[in-house]
Amino acid sequence: MEYWKIDKELIEHVCKIARLALSNEEKEKFVKELEDILSAFRKIDEVDTSDTRPSFHPLEFKNVMREDEPKVWKWQPLANARHKEKNYFKGPRIV
Amino acid sequence: MRAVIGLEIHVHMLSKSKLFCSCPTDYEGKEPNTLVCPICLGFPGSKPKVNKKVIENAILAARALNCKINPEIFFSRKSYFYPDMAKNYQISQYEIPLAENGYLEISSKKIRIKRIHIEEDPAKLIHVGGDITTSQYVLIDYNRAGIPLLEIVTEPDFSNTKEVREFLFKLSSILAHLEIFNPSKEASLRVDANISLDGGARTEIKNITGFANVQKALDYEIVRQANLIRLGQKVERETRHFDEERRVTVSLRKKEFEEDYGYIFDPDLTKIEITQKWIKSISMPELPDARVKRLIKKYGIPAEQANIIVYTDKALADFFENCAKIYADRKKLARWIVTDLLKCLNWNKITIRESKVKPKDFVQLLKMIDRKVISEALAKEIIKEYVPTGKSPAKIVKERKLVMIKDRRILEKIVKEILEKNKKAVADYRAGKEKALEFLVGQVLMKMEKRVDPKIVREIIKSLI
Amino acid sequence: MIDLQKILEKAKAIQKEYSPFVTLPEKLEKPRSRGRLSGIMISVKDNICTKGLESTAGSQILRGYVPPFDATCIEKVKAEGGIILGKTAMDEFGFGSFCTNSFVIPKNPFDKERVCGGSSGGAGCITQLADFPHIAIAESTGGSISCPAAFCGVVGLTPTYGRVSRWGLIDYANSLDKIGVMAKNVRDAALLLSVIAGYDERDSTSLNVPQEDFTKYCKENFKMRVAVPKEYFTGIDEKIEKSVWQAIKKMESEGMRYQEISLPHTSYALPSYYLIAMAEASTNLAKFCGIRYGFQPELKGNFDEYFSEVRGKAFGQEAKRRIILGTYARMAGFRDAYYLKALKVRTKVIEDFKRVFKNFDVIVAPTMPILPPRFDEIAKLEPIEVYMMDILTVAPNLAGIPMISLPCGFVGKLPVGLHIMADHLQERNAIQAAYTYEAIK
Repeated sequence: MEYWKIDKELIEHVCKIARLALSNEEKEKFVKELEDILSAFRKIDEVDTSDTRPSFHPLEFKNVMREDEPKVWKWQPLANARHKEKNYFKGPRIV
Repeated sequence: MRAVIGLEIHVHMLSKSKLFCSCPTDYEGKEPNTLVCPICLGFPGSKPKVNKKVIENAILAARALNCKINPEIFFSRKSYFYPDMAKNYQISQYEIPLAENGYLEISSKKIRIKRIHIEEDPAKLIHVGGDITTSQYVLIDYNRAGIPLLEIVTEPDFSNTKEVREFLFKLSSILAHLEIFNPSKEASLRVDANISLDGGARTEIKNITGFANVQKALDYEIVRQANLIRLGQKVERETRHFDEERRVTVSLRKKEFEEDYGYIFDPDLTKIEITQKWIKSISMPELPDARVKRLIKKYGIPAEQANIIVYTDKALADFFENCAKIYADRKKLARWIVTDLLKCLNWNKITIRESKVKPKDFVQLLKMIDRKVISEALAKEIIKEYVPTGKSPAKIVKERKLVMIKDRRILEKIVKEILEKNKKAVADYRAGKEKALEFLVGQVLMKMEKRVDPKIVREIIKSLI
Repeated sequence: MIDLQKILEKAKAIQKEYSPFVTLPEKLEKPRSRGRLSGIMISVKDNICTKGLESTAGSQILRGYVPPFDATCIEKVKAEGGIILGKTAMDEFGFGSFCTNSFVIPKNPFDKERVCGGSSGGAGCITQLADFPHIAIAESTGGSISCPAAFCGVVGLTPTYGRVSRWGLIDYANSLDKIGVMAKNVRDAALLLSVIAGYDERDSTSLNVPQEDFTKYCKENFKMRVAVPKEYFTGIDEKIEKSVWQAIKKMESEGMRYQEISLPHTSYALPSYYLIAMAEASTNLAKFCGIRYGFQPELKGNFDEYFSEVRGKAFGQEAKRRIILGTYARMAGFRDAYYLKALKVRTKVIEDFKRVFKNFDVIVAPTMPILPPRFDEIAKLEPIEVYMMDILTVAPNLAGIPMISLPCGFVGKLPVGLHIMADHLQERNAIQAAYTYEAIK
């Protein structure tokens, strides 16, 4: 596994996963740009984090939960939807 | 051929509100997109907040399945794109699930539970103008989006589908007894099954709804794989879908790439510490095994019947105990529930929960037998009308004029008529054939629409012959 | 009695010349309540949801999106009689340091050929130019309040992470986003913060601490212990360095002694920040796929095709870069090396600050390494060079500590920003120090 490197193939793979249609020019341009960025980022390998815990938030948050009380929102969920049918949202087909 | 089967079971957990928002969860029969809010619809700016009761229910399930509960749990974002995904990531649990390393005993072995975790359900899709492969577009109803799911993953410990069925049956009963799951809603249980034969490639059958279908799907798949092996062909490692109508598994068209879930810890949510104190404070309802033992001890009913009463449906066991409160002959009660009541429910394709059967009326039926207002045979007829309609047995008896005939003179008259018409049977009986007597009794009962006690009929026939 | 129509005319005039706004309403609503913000116009960064008023987060993919609810901070503003002036321009979803990744690009109030800074560029711009009572609500993930505050010569206050509810904030990176304020002076900033801060049960990462009136910290305190981090002065414009040292010396002359200290993980904060921010952002942006809201072209193809088309068309270049890198950073096999590693480095950065704050009340440094650049200069910059602009603001943002940027002088006609940082939940220290400096400068 090679880290801190990116090539066109990897970009194309990531774009499939992330559902991003890029033009060929964009892909070409991104190879160099993203390479440079990753080269700069690899600096973090210098930090010894062998016994460091990860920080998911900058301060500690814990045990935030809510009671099981139902509440109904009174609103128009479909107001922003262009594609809809009866009271359904309409979306693209699967296959 | 040796099969190796593992299951991933998704259970709809009962709660008043959804997992990460306060929308109500009773979406059955509601207009689409009416039990939704910006959170479960994935509107920008909305933020999730986890439902405490759901975690508590999951803790109960973990305890009932003998799992080790993790002292600190986190939620993760599982990223993938699909039209039923409100955010195109599912809030689930990855590295640190709620619980791990448990087991559930079935008759032949212990099935190991690898992990249990909590996650949200996606929306419901309707494929318009066809099915999943042919429709032109989808309609999306987010009422179901965000409903809490419990995912239970087993080790591949199953060797045949009978074990799978027994396991699911028992699991379903335990979860129903914990009151975190409604077994009569078929859609509330979905299973992904992994199966391989003789160490060959593993196929995954996804999204099988209801456990009756699980056995069918696996039975078919075993046959399919066995045939391939026999013909010297290779079993492909793939994902398949169970077609309920045709009862076959079908290969899902392979994607050109595999989703990479790219898990991160969900930074909109916090870690949850599950302390021993909290676990102990959640009261554990009576589990089915314990309930069976208690019913046997308390009511003196046979073990086999107790098992059926408890494991068919928690609601049935509740029904039994509610009847037992107002009716003293528990053995008779159990017998009637386990045979006639269940038979009627199954015949009418409804569960006790859905039916209109009530303890008061059911007990009334039994009491009428006791007081000899009606015969047992007649009661078996009455229950056939009672179960689907809910009309009280007393009313049915009145309407159909089914009261037992006790006047001996009338009885003797009818018996004489039957004996006249069946001279051969009479002769047979005189010749020593006991079966002929039963035949004659049957004829009388039929003529009298069962409104008579067979014992008395037999006695009268014997006296007249 | 304020004349709302007149103010709107003024705002429109400013808009014509400098373009700070994405949306200016046709009419300003008279507030229904009276309170601490009565008579004050509040502009809102466009990634904060305003009910009934288009909110785009600076992105084409949300053009036309009208939120069905107000963000919590907006509810609070309205309850105190504040008037929502309009939505200010920003880099798409917060991705940028110059407010140029935008379909509305605001111009620097001091020089129209120069940028306003980002991503809250519009907020910085209007805050400087408004000649009516106005305070801006803005937002910072990696420095998006401090940078435009420095470039536009105003006060930018970024509170502790969790101080202001994120309910209604269109996410960039959930563990880094903080709603804050921009104003002409420290007291105004403290006032608006007092209104919008507070525990909100709708936001699971909302700090459950008592409400504070931050304006009461607007008094001079010459006894504050000031730390000056040496890493923050390397590689910056020497004129900025000079200006900032002048400010520090001025503070010293009034009694606020300083000491040079080290924040050794400073240079690692940038990659750590970007990896975390991009990983989180790539998941946050997944919901934008052409259904339910925003950009929704003709339904064509299967969902893979349709989603990809929509996102490919409507996301800007920088958004795409970050989605790609962010997705990559959390992919199976790479996650440990990038995402998890960055989370651990974050811990180290936080520890650096905690160590310093044990003995000091505030850390003082320059806000930006450069003066506001020209549009034609930045057009030549590579993306990584743009990221490097954040070098002085990412560490405190990563650590979620409160900070204030305020003007400390000019180089020619261009403003220089002084950055005052304090420990978690110690806005009082940052505000006191800033107020004191403001009074003496």
